[in-house]
Amino acid sequence: MSTRQYVRDCLRLDPALAVTTLESFIRDAIQTAGAKGVAVGLSGGVDSALAAALATRALGADAVHALSLPYRTSNPDSAKDAASVAASLGLELRTIDISPMVDAYFERFENEADRVRMGNKMSRERMGILFDQAKKHGCLVLGTSNKTEILLGYSTIFGDNASSLNPLGDLYKQQVWQLSRHLGIPDEVVAKSPSADLWPGQTDEKELGLEYATADDVLFLMFDWGLSPDEVLELGYAAEAVEKITQFEKKNRFKRRLMLIARLSDSAINLDREIPRD
Amino acid sequence: MQTRVTVGLAQIDCLLGEVDANLECHLEWIAKARERGVEWLLFPELSLTGYRLLHLTSRMAMRPASSPVIQKLIEAAGEMSVVVGLVEEDEQGVLYNSAVVLDAGGIRHVHRKLYLPTYGIFQEGRFFGAGDQIDLVPVNGRHLGVLICEDLWHPELGRRLARAGAKVLAVISASPGRLGGESKSEGQDIWETITRSTALLNTCWLLYCNRVGWEEGSFYTGCSHIIRPGGQIMARAPFLEEDLLVATIDLREVDRLRWRLPLVRADRSDIEGPA
Repeated sequence: MSTRQYVRDCLRLDPALAVTTLESFIRDAIQTAGAKGVAVGLSGGVDSALAAALATRALGADAVHALSLPYRTSNPDSAKDAASVAASLGLELRTIDISPMVDAYFERFENEADRVRMGNKMSRERMGILFDQAKKHGCLVLGTSNKTEILLGYSTIFGDNASSLNPLGDLYKQQVWQLSRHLGIPDEVVAKSPSADLWPGQTDEKELGLEYATADDVLFLMFDWGLSPDEVLELGYAAEAVEKITQFEKKNRFKRRLMLIARLSDSAINLDREIPRD
Repeated sequence: MQTRVTVGLAQIDCLLGEVDANLECHLEWIAKARERGVEWLLFPELSLTGYRLLHLTSRMAMRPASSPVIQKLIEAAGEMSVVVGLVEEDEQGVLYNSAVVLDAGGIRHVHRKLYLPTYGIFQEGRFFGAGDQIDLVPVNGRHLGVLICEDLWHPELGRRLARAGAKVLAVISASPGRLGGESKSEGQDIWETITRSTALLNTCWLLYCNRVGWEEGSFYTGCSHIIRPGGQIMARAPFLEEDLLVATIDLREVDRLRWRLPLVRADRSDIEGPA
């Protein structure tokens, strides 16, 4: 068997066992925090659909507060897909249009902003609303970032990468697809091209210049197995892709280690004193 | 000496850093075990404190001989032999990841974990000192040896205890799980490979008591089990759920197997060659 085939095998999960385990994770985190449930933003994409499906199985539909948070330029298919995910899970879906809040800031104060800044603002606006809704309902915010995007740093810091608990954070994108199919997430949601939908026509793979299948393999080899980029190249992966992935991973490490604290004492938080959160 | 013993493996969840709550839990499970006729009861590694303590470790330090927590457990145990896991502090202030055997109104044995995993997710070497001895437990004719988790990955320990007379190895554990493509967790599969091999190669009973629950996003598998001296799995507790696994084991089964399969008798420490 080739190493590339072996990598694919390593990334395949037993879906039933993974689902059971992730349900247990969600139940335990909610119980430990003394919370009543979760608030989750449904984008219409596969990650949030899977996270919501796991939470619904773990906690019941009444404990899952699902929100659709569109901006005026969002693809109308996103809201439609979010509705179909909610319906398939028996969740009530509340829609809050974030256009007035986002536009108010840019129109009044920053009308020269580019689309990346606007996209970041939308992402943080959504997370701000999710944390408020969570507070309102005595809930925690359910994260929906997968391992591929966390490692690549393909996220907005304190936006979509913020959350209180994240059942998907150790799942590569292929594994998200695998579990989603297993749980019967609607086909159109699993099959469509992943997109942050921050501007018209945006797709993850176009923006990253990478296919998820390649990104997953290369990240697994470098991060899980500790191979060097040269060793990955020897396995036949494209030089351009390996270079891109290496750069993304390195450039965005700051997004996964929150709070950079200047250490002055011998008891700095996290560096010297690691107090578990549980 | 009693040849048949009813053993119980308390596959519990533990609250991290909450000794009082964990003590209450232990007392409940001792009562449950008594109802089911358990004579030897095992709790998991660091059962009184939780596992992933990091800088909470020193706050959990106990001196078993003078600890009111241990006193309560001794009283609750009565005639039962009970193994609990805790952070032990010695006279010099060194902390150990210890298994304490309570029996007949007192502390019968303390095993300090010998191999402290300090790699991957594990950080024990930063917070604990390593033990430096093994011994048999003076319960029911000195046929019991106790090890903690990583100790079992070093096969010479089981062999030494078996050579010294152990017919039962009790292993208490807090083993984090991992998932792969198989329908049982990778952790469970690996542990069963080791426990079954250890039991078979030493022709002894092996009791493996692992915990369940989540700490900091990492889960403990459970799947505690009892292995026969021939390496077969006699009983297994469920994945990720609390359970009291009870079975009666016969120490004569060890003797009978060793007549047919004299591995321990044949063991030699006098063979020359690379050390």
